[in-house]
Amino acid sequence: MERRGAATAVEVKASKELFKEIINAGLCSLCGGCSGSCPYLVSYKGRVILMDNCNLADGQCHEYCWRTYSDLDALNQKVFGVPYGESEMGVFKEVFLARSKDPDIRRRSQDGGTVTTLLTVALAEKMIDAVVETKLDADKRPHGFLARSKKEILECAGASYEPSPVLETLNHLPKDSTDKLGFVGVPCQVSCLRKMQLNPPRNRVNVDNVKLVIGLFCGWTLAQGFHEFMKEHFDLSNAIKFDVPHSPFHTYDVYTESGKQSVELEDIRSYINTACSYCFDMTAEFADISVGSGRTAFKGWNTVVVRNKTGAKLVEKAKAKGALETQAIPEESITNLKRASLGKKKRTLENLIALSGSKKDLGYLDVSQDFITRFLS
Amino acid sequence: MPDIDVNAPGTTVLWMGNEGIARGALEAGVGFASAYPGTPSSEILPAIAEVAKRMGIYAEWAVNEMVAMESATAASLAGIRSIAIMKQNGVNVVSDFLANLVMRGIGKGLVLICADDPGPHNSSNEQDTRPVAKWLDIPLLEPGDFQEAKDMTKWLFDLAEEINTICMLRTVGKIAHTRGNIKLGELPVVEHKAHFAASYGFRGAGPHAELHKKLAKAQEKFESSPFNLYIGPDKAELLIIACGASWLYSQEAVRLMNLQDKVGLLKMGTIYPLPEKFMEKHLKKASKVLFVEEVHPFVEQGVMELVGTLPPSGPHPVFYGKRSGHIPAYGDLDPSVVIKAINSIMGLNYQTRDAEYDKKVKALAQSYVTARSGTLCPGCPHKASHWAIHRALQLTGHEGFGTSDIGCYGGGGVGSFGITKTHFCMGGGIGVANGFGKLGRFGFDQPVVAFCGDSTFYHAAIPGLIDAVYNGSNVLMVIFDNSATSMTGFQPHPGTGRNAMGEPAATVSIEAVCKAIGAQVVICDPFELKKTTDTLVDMIENKTGVRVVIMDRECELIRARREEPPYRVYVDPEKCLGEDCGCDMFCNRVFLCTGLTWNRQTGKAEIDDVICAGCGVCVDVCPHGAIIKEPYTAKGKEKVAVKGKEKLKEVAAR
Ligand SMILES: Cc1cc2nc3c(=O)[nH]c(=O)nc-3n(C[C@H](O)[C@H](O)[C@H](O)COP(=O)(O)OP(=O)(O)OC[C@H]3O[C@@H](n4cnc5c(N)ncnc54)[C@H](O)[C@@H]3O)c2cc1C
Ligand code: SF4
Ligand code: SF4
Ligand code: SF4
Repeated sequence: MERRGAATAVEVKASKELFKEIINAGLCSLCGGCSGSCPYLVSYKGRVILMDNCNLADGQCHEYCWRTYSDLDALNQKVFGVPYGESEMGVFKEVFLARSKDPDIRRRSQDGGTVTTLLTVALAEKMIDAVVETKLDADKRPHGFLARSKKEILECAGASYEPSPVLETLNHLPKDSTDKLGFVGVPCQVSCLRKMQLNPPRNRVNVDNVKLVIGLFCGWTLAQGFHEFMKEHFDLSNAIKFDVPHSPFHTYDVYTESGKQSVELEDIRSYINTACSYCFDMTAEFADISVGSGRTAFKGWNTVVVRNKTGAKLVEKAKAKGALETQAIPEESITNLKRASLGKKKRTLENLIALSGSKKDLGYLDVSQDFITRFLS
Repeated sequence: MPDIDVNAPGTTVLWMGNEGIARGALEAGVGFASAYPGTPSSEILPAIAEVAKRMGIYAEWAVNEMVAMESATAASLAGIRSIAIMKQNGVNVVSDFLANLVMRGIGKGLVLICADDPGPHNSSNEQDTRPVAKWLDIPLLEPGDFQEAKDMTKWLFDLAEEINTICMLRTVGKIAHTRGNIKLGELPVVEHKAHFAASYGFRGAGPHAELHKKLAKAQEKFESSPFNLYIGPDKAELLIIACGASWLYSQEAVRLMNLQDKVGLLKMGTIYPLPEKFMEKHLKKASKVLFVEEVHPFVEQGVMELVGTLPPSGPHPVFYGKRSGHIPAYGDLDPSVVIKAINSIMGLNYQTRDAEYDKKVKALAQSYVTARSGTLCPGCPHKASHWAIHRALQLTGHEGFGTSDIGCYGGGGVGSFGITKTHFCMGGGIGVANGFGKLGRFGFDQPVVAFCGDSTFYHAAIPGLIDAVYNGSNVLMVIFDNSATSMTGFQPHPGTGRNAMGEPAATVSIEAVCKAIGAQVVICDPFELKKTTDTLVDMIENKTGVRVVIMDRECELIRARREEPPYRVYVDPEKCLGEDCGCDMFCNRVFLCTGLTWNRQTGKAEIDDVICAGCGVCVDVCPHGAIIKEPYTAKGKEKVAVKGKEKLKEVAAR
């Protein structure tokens, strides 16, 4: 497969270019990968802010942003030992449905509580000492959080559809920390983390401390004033859950103790983060294990994609401990999942081509021309 | 500061121009002195206050120049010789009062001292106050040396009394702050007794016409004033007309160029109104005239005006000066400016200084100083406040900015992280911010932070704040309360509990005033960087209306005079990232405390133990915990200071 490869990998750039090429160009997904690692970059209320001018010409902020060039083969090699296959949903061992056996976890969680369950098992089994994941603040905004106990993991259950700068929390950890870490993130966050692991950053916590990466399926996030929109339309102080149910529903739902309030998806489409239309990954292809919803057919369950040994071992443990129950997923559901994932890739290709004006220039994305032709047809 | 009440008539002392002015007032039997601090006028009032009790007089720092002038006027009306002292900006503040006072007249001698700051070296603007005398129609003198600073001040009281109007003395920084010989005069013994004569009020039908008569009387006296003099040949190739410090520069230039036989020097001390006959006589001395004076072409224009009214008697002299471009109409002057003008007019080529030598001297001088941009003192609480405001504005976005008034905290671009965008006058911070805060109805959504000092608060900020509450402005005001008027030399103010004469005084609480006006008030300790930033963010994002944050931290220079520093601070070179990604010299490049220095060999930050004030704020600024603070103990002092240095040596050796 013909790709640009490593030659283009050595870009000598820093914060100035990060702002010019990514953030101000509407390509930033607010993953938090660049922020929190130095005094200059801070994630705050859905923005990455340059607090003061950094005058370095070569900076890790630009290097690790998943929106700058990534060597996909090297990434895939690092996680799975094989080059990037240009398949629909990345390397995987198994796909099945799962949910927590603990009704309390299921009640608090987004779908089947698989993520929360896997994390508590990993913690109990000492596979990890803490998890970098996402928690809502009092204002119901998502932000990174280091959960160190089952209680804290439970506090993080449920999804926010706003971008969470979760990697900032990783960057904030003390440099000399030796905690074994778990990590939960949507696909862009997982990509950024893997980029760091491929070429570990200086002057930050050792990224190889991250021993478990759980990816979440993701279509898009809602940003650019969405929080203010929500504040205006819902009573956020009483909100307990946010959801975007799969088709045939077309709503954004906010649950409170007293029930559900909805808006039509059409009415909030304008808040979809523009950056997400350039995202190539729906299923977190570089995670150890990816988790999405069971969709409408299996409401209350999760679709689980086990990608490597780390993921497989954890699922086995969780099942053996009686924490997780699983069932086979119908072939038709897998086909649908692949179709959805492919659909995202196709739209992204079209958007990237529209952005550069050329099929030969896909910006940050390094896939072969062969692939482009194949997927656009 | 010398005791200016030394009773030794005939003795010559080496005093500052400002001390000369203070002494002049004493020799005139002044009984009441009021001032607002402002460089270069600030030393006059303290010199009087120091001896006030002994002399049975009263001296005070007023809350602003207008109040100073009004109080001094009252004393004059009650039969006490009085003086009001201020810098150029102060005269603007007083102008409305003055423009009305001149229509009425005074009681006992009343003198206005105004110190201008050509350059400007210590001011927000450069301004020549002399034209003020012209539009007020009051007599104006400008001393050409230190002796005159004293003598003119003294004489102005007599003149004021005689013609029954306030008189003005204008000095410039280089007379005010330089020392020179002053021969002392007698100190009168006056028992001041105050009583207001009820007959005071409008006098005659046309007070303005009356005023012109008073001015004519002054002009008549100026014709024979010893403050004007000519030195030089009877017929000169060039006549230099100079006043103020320019008189000294002109003398020096002529002496250096050895032109005493060719160039005549006319020194003018009574510059408004100009003595016409005296001028006419001297203008005949040469066919070329050069005007040397600082800032505005005041005497230059006065003479031209006068020449235009003289009966025609052949061609008038050729005039050189600001109009012709030979002398700049801005900045302060020096002898080399005068030499350049003489060279050009007389076709000479006198070298003020060998160019090569000049270069060498400059290079040598520069090698002794650290290259850095303007910043605040080490340990300055304003630095911490600026830090918090800057971060709060960056976080909250929407292109927020600051509007400042005058004080250290205004510090322009660098000193305040470039936050302050307007910098007009006392009270101008809240005044302008208050205006921005009313523009929401036109779509304005940028956060605005008004910068205000504690002394400035009392001086001019209160009306702006009241207006903001009354007119429903949306504004955040930060008051930098460091318990002193620091920029001008730590003078006390109504918040300090002390008065100019060193006595205990009532305090006026800024917090209570703001609350009474109806603002939401929060008090922060700026050294708590995070808490202060969070408070400001909350104020900007979640609150509307008139909000006041008081930054409560004493001026570091005052604290340091009283006690040992709180911490010993050093950099752990092993933790310091230096120029590497993740820091990029943050403390040295962004925070910019002068106590932080850079070791080029090791590429690490260091703390300069001599300069560091030990406030420990940079500890919270360093993103990598490389700056360490330990409680200061006199005993541990040496040990801790050495710690960083030793480690640094180790690192360097590797
Ligand atoms: C922005 C977003 C978009 C998604 N889009 C899809 C989709 O299109 N299709 C699909 O099948 N599934 C999607 N999901 C995944 C789905 O919503 C559930 O997170 C997933 O099924 C796991 O369910 P669970 O019950 O196991 O999660 P839980 O056990 O409740 O755990 C949820 C985990 O998600 C983390 N989390 C919450 N909000 C965020 C956030 N904003 N960013 C990163 N991590 C977060 C929490 O920290 C927690 O670890 C999306 C999730 C997010 C956050
Ligand atoms: S210090 Fe490094 S990561 Fe931070 S802005 Fe500068 S180059 Fe980027
Ligand atoms: S995508 Fe992530 S790493 Fe890139 S600019 Fe945005 S927050 Fe920073
Ligand atoms: S002391 Fe801290 S802020 Fe200063 S250069 Fe070193 S690491 Fe950076």
